[in-house]
Parts: sequence; structure tokens; C-alpha cells
Amino acid sequence: MKTSNTSLRDYEKKSMKWYVGYFVVLALFIWSMIGMNINLERISDGIPAMGRILALMVPPDTARLESSVIGMIETIQIAVIGTTIAAIFSIPVSFMAARNLGLPTAVSTAGKQILNAIRTFPSLVFGIFFVASYGPGPLAGVMALGINSIGMLGKLNSEIVEAIDPGPIEALEATGANYPEMFLYAVIPQVLPEFIGTTLYRFELNLRQASVLGLVGAGGIGVTLMQALQFRRWAIVGMTMLVIIVVVTILDYSSAFIRKKII
Amino acid sequence: MEIIECEGLGVTYPGGVEALKNVDLTIEDGDFVIVVGLSGAGKSTLLRTINRLVEPTTGTIKVDGRVINNLDKKELKEYRSEVGMIFQNFNLVNRSSVLRNVLAGRLREVPTWRTLLGLFPEEDVEEALSCLERVGIKEKADSRADELSGGQQQRVGIARALAQEPKILLADEPVASLDPPTSHAVMQDLKRINEEDGITTLVNLHFIDLAQEYGEKIIGLREGELVYQGPASKVTEAKFEEIYGRSITADDQLTAGGEADV
Repeated sequence: MKTSNTSLRDYEKKSMKWYVGYFVVLALFIWSMIGMNINLERISDGIPAMGRILALMVPPDTARLESSVIGMIETIQIAVIGTTIAAIFSIPVSFMAARNLGLPTAVSTAGKQILNAIRTFPSLVFGIFFVASYGPGPLAGVMALGINSIGMLGKLNSEIVEAIDPGPIEALEATGANYPEMFLYAVIPQVLPEFIGTTLYRFELNLRQASVLGLVGAGGIGVTLMQALQFRRWAIVGMTMLVIIVVVTILDYSSAFIRKKII
Repeated sequence: MEIIECEGLGVTYPGGVEALKNVDLTIEDGDFVIVVGLSGAGKSTLLRTINRLVEPTTGTIKVDGRVINNLDKKELKEYRSEVGMIFQNFNLVNRSSVLRNVLAGRLREVPTWRTLLGLFPEEDVEEALSCLERVGIKEKADSRADELSGGQQQRVGIARALAQEPKILLADEPVASLDPPTSHAVMQDLKRINEEDGITTLVNLHFIDLAQEYGEKIIGLREGELVYQGPASKVTEAKFEEIYGRSITADDQLTAGGEADV
């Protein structure tokens, strides 16, 4: 009897926490709505305009198909180079940041902090920074994606390293293998397929990022999109959007398919 | 001739746990020794102290007449290559091929520039394959390690140790993850290798029936202390009860089905 009473009280405590949580979220939502002066009337007022603009995008301006495809190819190239650079640079940092390879704690903490710092910046901030440094064009886009992706790839990959089975490392140590051999024969085979998986996943994200980075002048199809938006050429916007959607979808599925096959 | 001599061997882990206390131990060259004791009695620590995966806190270990407590890094790697080890959880690289796992046992024999490039000389690959042949799974050389059954994986572990051409073989609970028939098969492999090659073998076990069936000599550990050292034939049930510090139950016997079907 006594135990059932305590567990009932625990249950009540837990559901109280949930109610407090709901209330806090609701309060935050209402506070934000009032602060922004948003109400249902204003939301519904915009809908007809949305409809008109979407209608203007159809049919897409087929005369711009070729230039959109050329822009998209540049976007793919930006994503490929940016992801490759990030993959190469993130790998040493992810081993450095992992806490289970016997490196001094100060080293892995430093590694983790570097990765955290990089992830704080949104890619658009990197984009604007590199457009300012290198001038507008694909190189700025490549640099922005390359540096920005190191943060996420490094973090995911270091977590993969931390999750490996220590058994094979011990077994290799017991054979008298040296440190590079232990690394190559016991650590690398455990992490490599998953590293490729995270890199492909980042490539999918980078393809979308690269489409948008053109908005700040960092090359690719985004440049066409930005100009069409500025001059309200909705049929051209429609054409570029169509190309982006089709290409991103195809590459997304292919990359996800390869990832499944590898892991 | 003695191959392993421990004198006053003690291990205290950083947390303060005394895993081994003042152990004096002699093992003759070519012996097949079973180390028994409850889990936590210090069996794994004893084996890992012999190949210095665990550092002794006190006492000395002599192997082949040489004290191995203070080997420098290079000497330690050289020494470890003469001691093969087999693990409860096999400790294979699951995603690598069986052959590559066994070649790990040849790393010390092959120059590092070759091993890092994966360029093993023909004779080392042949050696690895012949080790697989000795444990009856040569045809699995190209399979991924995790495609094999538990018993086959443990044989890969044995082949990896054999590929080192060791003087001593340490097996830490080699059958604890296997079912009873496979356990017997693996114990028979170990025994056969001991008889054919004369490799001194130490096997940690907690099943007393396996210990009696396969052991020539038995070492009993209880709470880090050596409580028995002698021929297996002289170990009675009463002696086991003394080593275990309690009465023998069905769980202590493989055939009684204590941990069967795990």
C-alpha cells in the first residue's frame, strides 16, 4: 500500500511538470505574437497575394532553362568542392576531439571547442564574410561551405569515433602492434563507412545551402534566383525553383541510397 | 623448465581495488593451465599482467628467465608479439575481412611501412591462411568477420594469436560467449594447439567441469589471492568450494546448463 501511494505521488509530480511545460510554451507563443503584432486577420490578408505570385510563376520561363541548368551545375560543383574540403579538414579534428584515443584531455577539449565555435556561425554569415574577402563568385561559396561544414562533420565524426568498440584496439595492442598500426587496423575500419555516411549527408545539406548562398553573391544558381527576385520576374523565379527542386530531389535520393548501402 | 615465474605479484587499480595480492606462481614450459575463480577474483587481471596490458603494482614477472616489469616501449612490443591473446568477446574488427583480422597477428613481423600500406609479403599472407586452416575455417578468409557465427569468430581470434607464432597463449574466458557444443570445440582446438606446438597456454574459465576436463594444471584465485596451484586431477569438489568460497551450483557447470543457450 505504501509503495503504491508513493508511486502515485511521483506520477502526479511528473504530470505537474508537463503542465508547467505546456503553460510556459503557450505563454512564450502569445508573448511573441503580441510583440510582433501578428493576428489571424493579417495572416489571411497575405494569402491572395501569395496565390497571385505563385500563378505568375506558371508557366516557368523556358527560355531560361539553359541558364538555370548552367547555374545549377555551378551550385553542384560548389557543394562538391566545399564538402570535400570540409571532409578532409574535419577528419583530423574529429580524431583530436574524441576522448577515447588516449590523447590528453586538453587536446580533445580544444578540438571540441574549435568545432563548437565553427558551428555557432550560420553559413550565410560565412558567405557574406567570404564574398567580402574574395569578391562575389563561386570561390566565396566554396569557402563558406567548406569552413562551415567542418563544424558539423567534425562533431558527428568525433561522436562516431567515441562510440567504437575498444576490444579490437586492446587485441592489437596485445599483438605488439605500434600506435599507427592500431589506428589503421582497429580504429579506421570501424569508423570509415560511417564517416562516408556523414559526409554524404552533409553533401545533401550543402547542395541546398549552395542554392541559397548565391543570394549573398557566392555563386551558383542562387545568383540567378536573387536577380529574378529583385526584378520580380516571377516566371524566371519559377524556372530556377523548378530546376533546384528537381536536381536537389534526385541527388538527395541518390545520396541517401548510397548511404544505406554503405552502412 | 619454468617459462613464467611470478613473485609477490600484486595489482592495485587506480580506484584502489586490489585485484591481485602477493601472488607467487610458476608455470612450466608447455603447460596447459586453467585459471579458475569467481568473476572478480583476478583471473583477467592475472592474464593481462602477464602481457603487461595491466601494469603490476608490486612483485616481479619473469618470462623465459627475463624480468618483464621494466621493458622499454620497443622491448615491450617485441615481448607482446611472443604472447598471443584470445578474448571473451573475440575483439575482432567486425567490418574487416577474416584474413585482415588474422594478418593483425603478423604486424610485428612486417615492417611498419608495409603494414600501413597493406602490403603484406606473400609468406605472411600464406602464414595467416595456414593459421586459419589449422582452426578449420580457411574457406572463410574473405568473409567479413561479423558474417561468422560466434564459434567461428573465436577461431579467427585463435588464428590471429597463432599468426604471432607465440611462445605463450593467454585465453581470457574464451568460451563464455559460446553455447556448450561450441565451447567444447573451442577448448579442443586450444588443447590440440598446445599439444602439437607446445605453446604454453593459460585459459581463464569459470566452469569447473570444463576446467577438470581440459586442464592439466589448475590455478585457483579467490579475491586476488592464489589459493590453489597444482594438477587438475587433485582438484576435488571440496577444493573448488574452497576456491569459490561457497558451495558449487549448477551455474558453475557448463553441462548443467547454467549459462547454456546464451
